[in-house]
This record gives sequence, structure tokens and C-alpha cells, in this order.
Amino acid sequence: MPPVHTRALILHAFPYGETSKIVRLLTREHGSQSAIAKGAQRPKSPFGARLQVLSEGTAHVYIKPHRDLHTLADFDVTRQHEELTRDLRRFAAATALAELLIRLCPAEPHPEIYDLTVSSLAQLETVPGEALDLASLSVLWAAVEALGFAPQRDACARDGRALPAGATVFSVADGGFLCSRCARGTRSARLGADDRRVLERLIAGEVSDIALLDAKHAAAHRRLLVRFVERHLAEDRELKALAMWRELA
Amino acid sequence: MAAIEDLIGELSKLPGIGRKTATRLTYFLLKQPPEAGRRLARALDAVATRVGPCSVCGNLGETDPCVICEDTRRDRSTVCVVEEASDIGAIERTGEYRGVYHVLGGHLSPLDGIGPDDLRLDGLRARLSNGSSVREVIVATNPSMEGEVTATYVRGIVEAQSVRVTRIALGLPVGGDLEYADNVTIARALAARREME
Repeated sequence: MPPVHTRALILHAFPYGETSKIVRLLTREHGSQSAIAKGAQRPKSPFGARLQVLSEGTAHVYIKPHRDLHTLADFDVTRQHEELTRDLRRFAAATALAELLIRLCPAEPHPEIYDLTVSSLAQLETVPGEALDLASLSVLWAAVEALGFAPQRDACARDGRALPAGATVFSVADGGFLCSRCARGTRSARLGADDRRVLERLIAGEVSDIALLDAKHAAAHRRLLVRFVERHLAEDRELKALAMWRELA
Repeated sequence: MAAIEDLIGELSKLPGIGRKTATRLTYFLLKQPPEAGRRLARALDAVATRVGPCSVCGNLGETDPCVICEDTRRDRSTVCVVEEASDIGAIERTGEYRGVYHVLGGHLSPLDGIGPDDLRLDGLRARLSNGSSVREVIVATNPSMEGEVTATYVRGIVEAQSVRVTRIALGLPVGGDLEYADNVTIARALAARREME
């Protein structure tokens, strides 16, 4: 069977045995896939320095139907996103995005998720430092939405009633905003009108008209996103890169 | 058979050694004279009991401080930062470096949950703090994405102490063939080109 040639992003690469590597790929045409790169750790491997995490390019993969691990024949790098390594916060945000995709992106064609991820990495590379918190939150919420796990924000997440404008409650457990009746007695995050608008904009990926977040609000938004992801997407398992991104000021 | 099973079990815990290879190694040892097995056992025991990390640089050795930190002929104004103690051997084999080292104990890797608190960065800060004789820190982390972000982080620590920080060069291997080098390495070599002397 000939190899398939697909645009791909390396989400993770780790040693396998003494000589090989396993790469987790986000491909444009085949979704999330794992492949073994045989001999990639040998000093004279043709893979050379190509199999770096967050490298973008064309993967040549022998895909075996009904298997979880395929064989990577070659990987032609077109972009390495090196600028992400100039700042640990950028790198942590990018790897947190990669971690979400490793856990949640299915092995099915999702070109829109691939395109979104590539543009998100470019955004994290180039955004000015003072806007990095906003950009990180925006790309991670956008990934959550693209993967089909967006919080309920048009109606109450518990009883489905319409939500009036203004202050409200965001319930991680219920997966979205609550109306005043359902929010009674809950210990969920209470959001003022401005905070609610910021969160709604972040989830929708519309951040151009949002003022930069101060350190306290940025930290609160990071904690909220991580709690939401851990509860609904990771089955309460810790996501290591996401946890590190949350802690980095 | 318990002794044989024990040895196979222990050997198969080593990196790159599966149960089949561990079994082969075990039966190879059993075919050797008994003294060969005892020598191996003594060597393993010596490593386990006598070798430990240097409290100054993190290098592995039988003395604390290690032989490099204790060597008065070494240039203490230059510190080379490496990821693992095994990297020291690679640099020492060049015979070109006469400074001292600092072993980080890994690299930053959010996907593996390894952050700044998991590396020996406090030790580096202490070595560069007030009154330090260090004038240059050479960052020799691996040329991977994780190695680069670690280098950036170390740079921030070093520059905060007003100490010169340099990065080892990246590019083509000596004796290599340009035609067979991968495009990433060639691109790095072009970016790091320098005037011919």
C-alpha cells in the first residue's frame, strides 16, 4: 500500500526504544494519528531534526486500516514555529493546545480543526507579549468549541431558559451559564456583566474589542478554562501542559 | 528458578531491553564463569552505593564536589549548562573546554509536566548570585524545541545577574554531506552563518 501524503502538525514526539520515535500527528485529511518513525533516534537518521514538537509540514504515512499505530515514512517540514521557544508562556500555551488535540481530536478528517490549530500557533508566535494572555485563552476556548465541547452560553445550562443580560453565574459542573433560579444556592463562579461579556467573547473567539486582561482576571480566566476542560473533556484527569499554562503568570 | 526470574525481571526494566533480550542476557551470564557474574554484581553495587550527584554542579561522581568542581585548574568564570550529566562526557571528550558545568537534570517539557521547578535552576541562581566569579554562561541544551525553550528560560536567569550568556552553535556536522542534511539543519546553519576568518 503506498503512503498517504497529508499536511500535518507534530503534536508530540517521544522516544520509542533505543532507536525509534513515536509521533502524535494532527493531520488535515486524517485527523489525529499516531505513527512510528523507525530509526529516528539514530545519529544518521534521514529524519534528522525534522520530528520536533509543533513542526508543521507534509507527513508521508503508511496508514494501516483498523490500527492505532501507523508508520511514518518521511516528514517534510515547512514551518517549525521556533518563535514559540523565545517565551515559556507562549510555548506552554501552544503545548496546552497540542495536549487538548492529542486527547480529544478523533482520527477522522477535520480540516477545519487543522486550519484553526495552525493559525492559532501563528497567532501565539506573533502576538505582542501584553496580549498573550488574551490570545492564549482565545485559542484554547476556540479549540474547545471546534472539538464540540463549547460551554452553553445562549440559554441556562441546567433548565434551558433564556438568559437575561447582565451579571450571571458560570457553572463548570453544568457546563455553562445558569439562570438566576438555577444559580440559587450554587457555589459556582459569579460573573459581573463585564466579566460575562469577556468570557462570552473569548469562547466565541471574538477578542478584538476586549481590553487587555490584568493579571488577576487573566489568572481567574485560566483557572476557569482548566476546570472546565478537566471536568468535561478530560474526565477529571490532569492535563499536564494545560496545568503548567495555568500556573505561568 | 526464582533467581533467574528475578534477574530477567530486573534487566527487563532497563531502557531498550525487553523481556526477550533480558532472558538472552541472563542465560549469557549463566554461561560465563561465576566470577564474571560476581564482577558485574560488584560493579552495580559500587555504582549504587558510591555514585551520587555533585552538590555544586549536579554531575554524577564518586566524590562531592565532583572531580571537575574540585579541579583547581578549571576556569571557574565560565559555566556550561547542560541537560544531563551524560552531556558532560560529550563535551569533555572534545578537550576544548576548560570551564565548569551545571546540570539541569532535564529540559522544560509542558507535555511531560516538567516545569521550571523540576530543574536545578535554584542551584544555578545561587552560583550566579552576588559575589560570584562567573563571567560567562554557555547554554548547551539540546537543539530541540524543548531544549530551545529551556535555553531561553536559562538566559533570563543569567541576564538578570548581569552575566554574559552564550548559546552553542547549531548547524551542519563536521565531515557531513550537505546533500544529505535535512532542511531544518541546513536552515539553522544558514541562519547562523558567520564571516570567514
